[in-house]
Amino acid sequence: MKYLVTDDSKMARKMIIKSIQDIINEEDEIIQATNGEEAVSMYKEENPDISFMDLTMPIMDGFEATLAIKSFDPDAKIIIVSADIQEGSMKKAKENGALGFIKKPINPDNLKNMLMKLGLL
Amino acid sequence: MSDHLTLNEDERDCLQELMNISYGSATAAIAEIIDKFATLSIPNIKTATLDEFKVYLQEKLDHGKSHYVTNQLINGTISGETMFVIDNKSTVNLGSEFDLEEDELVEDELKDVVLEISNIITSTTLSKFSELIDASITFSPPSIKILHSIEEFHEHYANEYSHIIIISTDIKFEDQHINGELLILSKDESILYMKNALNRLLEEF
Repeated sequence: MKYLVTDDSKMARKMIIKSIQDIINEEDEIIQATNGEEAVSMYKEENPDISFMDLTMPIMDGFEATLAIKSFDPDAKIIIVSADIQEGSMKKAKENGALGFIKKPINPDNLKNMLMKLGLL
Repeated sequence: MSDHLTLNEDERDCLQELMNISYGSATAAIAEIIDKFATLSIPNIKTATLDEFKVYLQEKLDHGKSHYVTNQLINGTISGETMFVIDNKSTVNLGSEFDLEEDELVEDELKDVVLEISNIITSTTLSKFSELIDASITFSPPSIKILHSIEEFHEHYANEYSHIIIISTDIKFEDQHINGELLILSKDESILYMKNALNRLLEEF
């Protein structure tokens, strides 16, 4: 499995990666992007199995990046990780094609449950 | 400041309560990140005019210290900007609590920690607050500066706002305190929206 973790904060990326440590195997790969634009081009090159996406980022935000990735690959599996927990934001992210929404700070159990619920584990 | 933009006692009280609830969500979020004993103090919330705000900062900020200041624009029903202000010593303490090694306690790493923590506190607090007053907000990516004097602060920030909400809190770890201030600077039309929303709630209860 290949995971794409997108967040402009290095600390946030570290927190997401730490959360998935116990559900990934040795052969799994984690790649990182620091904004939406980078995430879109990385997705096209690397074709990850699961993408974790922040919403508020410079250059291109997570809403746009999700939409762009889903236009390129309608089967893309994108999970939003954000502290913007407004209903409107969650709705927009889902409309743009995100499969799920996890609030920051990421809780490893919630993440595991969501991945299981979505049939991704 | 125009009278119609001034919050009366009931409105301030209601706003304080809503901010307490909203900030409680951020407290829970921070507590989730920290795996050792830590508490956040009950926030001290006040509203201020620009002149009062300048006096507040003059008294509050230690003039001999540098401060990390994050800044995030907000748009939507409530528009303006938010700031998170934290002094250098608190920032280094924060970095240590978030597992940065001694050699990682450098400016760029510390800026990243402050940006992420302030992003969680700001977004969680304002998301909850907007839900409570039936508003919607979009957030711009935050930026960060290190300021060395109160004059620099005035030069860069807060000159176009007539209303500022100040939320001051302490993150207390077992052996040290970390003090941060969350500042919400709102445009006049947002204050009008908030006043109406507060009055709807006051009538309801």
